[in-house]
Amino acid sequence: MKIVFKIALGIIAAVGGFLDIGDLVFNTQAGALYGYDLLWAVLLGTLGIAVYAEMSGRVAAVSNRPVFDVIRMRMGFGMGLVALIASTVVNVLTVAAELGGLAIILQLLFDAEFSMFVVAAAFALVAIVALLPFGGIERLFGYGGLLMLVFVATAIHQGPDWGQVAHGFVPNLHDSKLYLYFVVGVFAAALMPYEVHFYSSGGVEEGWDESSLKENRLNAIVGYGLGGILAAALVVASGFLFHPLGIEPNDLGTVALPAQDAYGETGLLLALGGMLFCVGGAAVDSSFAASYNLAQFLGWEWGRYRGPEKAPRFTFSWLLFLSLAVLIVLSGINPVEITEYSVIFAVVALPLTYLPILMIAGDRSFMGEHANGPISAALGWLYLAVIAVLAIAAIPLLLATNGGGG
Amino acid sequence: MSTGEPIFIAHRLLDEQILDSEGRRCGRVDDVELIDDPPRVSAVLVGEGLYPRRLPVRLRGIARRLAGPERWGANAVRVPWQAVDRIDDVVHLRGKAEEHGLGHGDDPEDWMVRRLPWN
Repeated sequence: MKIVFKIALGIIAAVGGFLDIGDLVFNTQAGALYGYDLLWAVLLGTLGIAVYAEMSGRVAAVSNRPVFDVIRMRMGFGMGLVALIASTVVNVLTVAAELGGLAIILQLLFDAEFSMFVVAAAFALVAIVALLPFGGIERLFGYGGLLMLVFVATAIHQGPDWGQVAHGFVPNLHDSKLYLYFVVGVFAAALMPYEVHFYSSGGVEEGWDESSLKENRLNAIVGYGLGGILAAALVVASGFLFHPLGIEPNDLGTVALPAQDAYGETGLLLALGGMLFCVGGAAVDSSFAASYNLAQFLGWEWGRYRGPEKAPRFTFSWLLFLSLAVLIVLSGINPVEITEYSVIFAVVALPLTYLPILMIAGDRSFMGEHANGPISAALGWLYLAVIAVLAIAAIPLLLATNGGGG
Repeated sequence: MSTGEPIFIAHRLLDEQILDSEGRRCGRVDDVELIDDPPRVSAVLVGEGLYPRRLPVRLRGIARRLAGPERWGANAVRVPWQAVDRIDDVVHLRGKAEEHGLGHGDDPEDWMVRRLPWN
């Protein structure tokens, strides 16, 4: 029973840390614009995050090294610093996007000023992190995030042409820059770097060792698998409802409409609740990721498990990054725009995070018998090549499509 | 790994996490001091004052201006090799961080952290 409970924890942790505002925005828009045609990019992204999360979790369990420990060690101080600066910019932008998303969802549920909800959401996150232990934080957002299953129910309830849905999983290309922009966006939203920064550091927070490798593998396969199903359901639900009508959703509220269309007010509330927990969890994950990275790179004491008393610099840097994100959102930039920029810039920063993980996961002098086997190594290098191509294409596509505006 | 064995400095020592005898994280190996011929490590050097020398030559000047000069015992600390107990996934020191002048930044007395409501 204990192992079932442990695996369940892993699964919900993965769901809570995987789906975020990037997936909500890009996947819903992708469905509305291209129907089911971009499902293959969801599948590709989900497989990628599963491969790299498993690898980073394995490195954390075997050698006790979270991602930025590995980056500093493998890339040295200079290149490591470049990776740190790039990751921090992307992570803080991501926190801002998630906070903005939280405020929009709260605004849909209750009636008050947007800026008030931004500040309220930030205070709520501080209170949750202060009051709950690490496992409690994961469970709260993980269990809550399972409300997103309403999108799977919605997709089934809609009764789409399953042949067409299946066809969407076969990679296909349109002769359009906007389509390519969405391929990059949907793929990158699944592979956001904060996810592995947080996941590997979380492994250390939870005291993982070699006996945790089975749990790590199950998280990667079942947890991210479930996350992938939810991400695909967003595309299908949106593709079914919005695509034939030619609606292009430009705000976060539209994401929940397919659930309302299928199940009325209950569906809408379940969807908004699920989105609230997903985005809230991602806000915690991405803000923690920013502080984990800084502390690990500089050798500071870090971790929620140490408490603010033993890791004051870590704690204060977290509060600082969160405050910075609040200021970005309050500056008046549309949170959906912040989301798109954070996801596209993340693609550029991705190789700096994933190359060192791949190098150490394959190094037998650190990993011993748990080093990458031929399948992990092949998948790792394959994904790195895909990421490198997308990293080069991301910014030109962002400019050519006017940030997805066409 | 004992501290008497030959090691690849760049591979297993430089940039590694340092832990004191109580398992407290107290910095990284920012540089190493070598003596003799053939060279051997006589000390590990730790602190933010050493960061500029780790950057490419062109950036060192501006980084030095930002970080200030190396002040030994303050922003640059020399930990003699004898104080290194062993190296595995991290570098373990003999004795507590404060005995070596490390870990000041995480001293709760220096921070408002004590005044936070949950403490």
